[in-house]
Amino acid sequence: MTENPSDSDLLGDIYEDQALPSTPALDEETPFATMMSSFDEAAQTVGIDPAEYQILRKCDREMAFSVPVRLDDGSMEVLDGFRIQHNAGLGPFLGPLRISGHMRIVELRALAAWMTWKCAVLNVPFGGAAGGLRFDPRTHSSGELERAVRRYTANLLGDVGPERDVFMPDVGSDEQTMAWVLDTVSSHARVTENAAVTGKPTEMGGTKGHHDAVAQGLRVILRLAVDRFDLPPKGMRVIIQGAGTVGGHLARILASDGYRVCGISDVHGAFFNANGLDIPPILAWRAKQGSLRECPGEFDRISNRELLTQACDVLIPCATANAIHSRVADDVQCKIIVEGAHGPVSSRADKILEERGVAVVPDILANGGGVVMSYFEWVQNRMGYAWIMPVIEKRLRRFMGEGWNSVTKTQDEYGVRMRKAASILAVQRVAKADELRGIYA
Amino acid sequence: MSDGKSTKPSNTTHDEFNPFHSMEHQFGLAADLLGLDAGTREVLRMPDRELTVSLPILMDDGTIKVYTGYRVQHNFSRGPCKGGIRFAPSVNLDEVRALAAWMTWKCSVVDIPFGGGKGGVICDPRNMSQGELERLTRRYTASIMDILGPDRDVPAPDMNTNEQTMAWIMDTYSMHVRRTTTAVVTGKPIAIGGSKGRREATGRGVMLVCREAMKKLGRKPEDTRVVVQGCGNVGGIGALLMHREGYKIVSVSDMYGCLHNDKGLDMPAVMAHLQESGRLEGFAEAENLKNEGQLELPCEVLVPAATENQITSKNADRIQAQLVVEGANGPTTPRGQEILDSRGVVVVPDILANAGGVTVSYFEWVQDRMGYFWTEEIVNSRLEQVMVKAFHSVHEMAEEYKVNLRTGAYLVAIDRVARVYRMRGVYA
Repeated sequence: MTENPSDSDLLGDIYEDQALPSTPALDEETPFATMMSSFDEAAQTVGIDPAEYQILRKCDREMAFSVPVRLDDGSMEVLDGFRIQHNAGLGPFLGPLRISGHMRIVELRALAAWMTWKCAVLNVPFGGAAGGLRFDPRTHSSGELERAVRRYTANLLGDVGPERDVFMPDVGSDEQTMAWVLDTVSSHARVTENAAVTGKPTEMGGTKGHHDAVAQGLRVILRLAVDRFDLPPKGMRVIIQGAGTVGGHLARILASDGYRVCGISDVHGAFFNANGLDIPPILAWRAKQGSLRECPGEFDRISNRELLTQACDVLIPCATANAIHSRVADDVQCKIIVEGAHGPVSSRADKILEERGVAVVPDILANGGGVVMSYFEWVQNRMGYAWIMPVIEKRLRRFMGEGWNSVTKTQDEYGVRMRKAASILAVQRVAKADELRGIYA
Repeated sequence: MSDGKSTKPSNTTHDEFNPFHSMEHQFGLAADLLGLDAGTREVLRMPDRELTVSLPILMDDGTIKVYTGYRVQHNFSRGPCKGGIRFAPSVNLDEVRALAAWMTWKCSVVDIPFGGGKGGVICDPRNMSQGELERLTRRYTASIMDILGPDRDVPAPDMNTNEQTMAWIMDTYSMHVRRTTTAVVTGKPIAIGGSKGRREATGRGVMLVCREAMKKLGRKPEDTRVVVQGCGNVGGIGALLMHREGYKIVSVSDMYGCLHNDKGLDMPAVMAHLQESGRLEGFAEAENLKNEGQLELPCEVLVPAATENQITSKNADRIQAQLVVEGANGPTTPRGQEILDSRGVVVVPDILANAGGVTVSYFEWVQDRMGYFWTEEIVNSRLEQVMVKAFHSVHEMAEEYKVNLRTGAYLVAIDRVARVYRMRGVYA
């Protein structure tokens, strides 16, 4: 953000336009200021002391360091590494490790603060963090990536740990990355620290149910939405944008639950059938072919934009940020939107939807299944005892349900939209913890 | 209690109104019955560790004042130490020692894996600002940091300390060790790792052991009148829960007086009235009486849940209850107990009856260690398991040795600690 001059020094402005796919709506000033604006507003609404709120307006700690890596050809490359820790009031930090050829520290700041709010809404005992390694994994070998990740981790030894800062995968990082981080931390500490990372392979303490956690969380939210938004309990028509980790799993789950999944898409285009698509063969095709292109079936082939404007009960954008922008918002024909992706509704579109009376279940709540599952993994690692699938499902339902109930209760109390209610709830919870803990030394 | 000098753990002289002497007395009785050897007896009598710290605090007026704080760890054979921290002008090392020992027995009776500890700072919180109290708490925490920790010693609230105090301790410790350590202290606000059901825990424990004792006496709640002395976290909540179980709560009291209604009080209405007006007096559907004689009102169950030394040689022969459940610490003096014994009145002793609080503290520590938090129903059902099991082990022990429940409880407690002590052996 602008008050910190080191931004431009560190990174320059060259990546201005390249919003990363999982960063929430970014369309003005800095990503941090944009992301924070709704929380600033929430803090005002509930009358949090502006002086107290200053704590939340800044990150607790920001670490920037260089990561030298020996490349396979013997040459050396020095990468930039960052870890931003936003607020520790509610507990240790939890945040993604993003590995990408281009990233800006302001985006990581936004992501870190976003994690704080998200953990607060879902009532998991973490503060938010975000880490980044500027490195393009696609143009480097696996060995180079491994060395970069280990050196990145080594620079953060003493700061990473189950009760300090916990990693989870993000853009450019996966199970394997988490395994390298875990191994580096544990080898150095000379104790097994598997609670220091989440999203690990199950062989080394990863939780069951991680692969489709976001989709499972969305399923819980959809069930709860039926009563509140007066949706048809049977044969509900849904359109899912995206067929990847979130959209694909969600389509599978909803189809088997008896929903009518009328539309689905990937980057190559969209399929629509008002009577419902036959989802299993479509997903099987995609699993085999790598995309939906040329997939046979009974449906209309339409564009992604057209998909968003088809009539349905619930529209679930699970693909990119700002997919529903101001030029689409007028034509959307659904009763409610459930945000599966991060920031799929742009802020201008959000205003239009508000005027049109289309309710939006915000991403911070709706796609929280991933964070809840990371939390479950951390709990299981701390106990050293792995939960069975029915236990995980039941507890995920409980956490998503409690998040939903808290948000809707706040919504009714303040008479605001759901997105703002979620912001209010998050700010209240974090400010309360900060106030209770007071100022240390 | 105020004359700390006479409460040395090794002092066995007998003063009816000194609750620590009664504990000493009980310890001696139980140790004799168990046939403890002199060495083990000496080990269990002495605190494992005592720490005295001097705490310079910057006062709001710019002056520096130096306070004295203590932390006594009585016995850590069974696990890390557990016990409250009190802020009061009357705090003294002997009192802290005695309270620490008391915690060892209490944790042992309900079989939770802790030894006993206690801490205190000599200060008068009524004359201190919130900022001064915060600085005092943080400095005290920093000064005893080396012996604190989830696996070392886990404080809790006590006289004049509360959730906020615990939050400061948690924050100070966590910042100092540079990792979030919620399990270092219990009685925290729920927002930073506290447990659901903790506020009600002691009252609920009282209700549960009362229920078990009633079964042994073959009584039913519906035709049982209960007199409760006190109406705070223990008495008030205990009475409310017992009312819900079907008992007729005929009297409750606060420091200004008591209510009496032989047909039974409408407890939810009484608590609402108390909440509103700050005192019991003026509740319409009951007689308003003075506190004198409350314990002698006709009833089948008496729950002293206010302060110590309430049932003594002076009034024990006029107590009409068949069952006394000690919600407070030390409400019955040894002479009072003897008289009740001779009249066949059953007393469920404090270290069992009011152990619900420390039990849920234990649950808080467990939840913090996992990082996963139980629903209130789960907390309550696990509390029930612990209290019921503890009651029966005490009852069986008392039957076996043909002693009252108080001695039974000390037998259970001391036997457990002594066994662990012998198994672990003498280190180095």
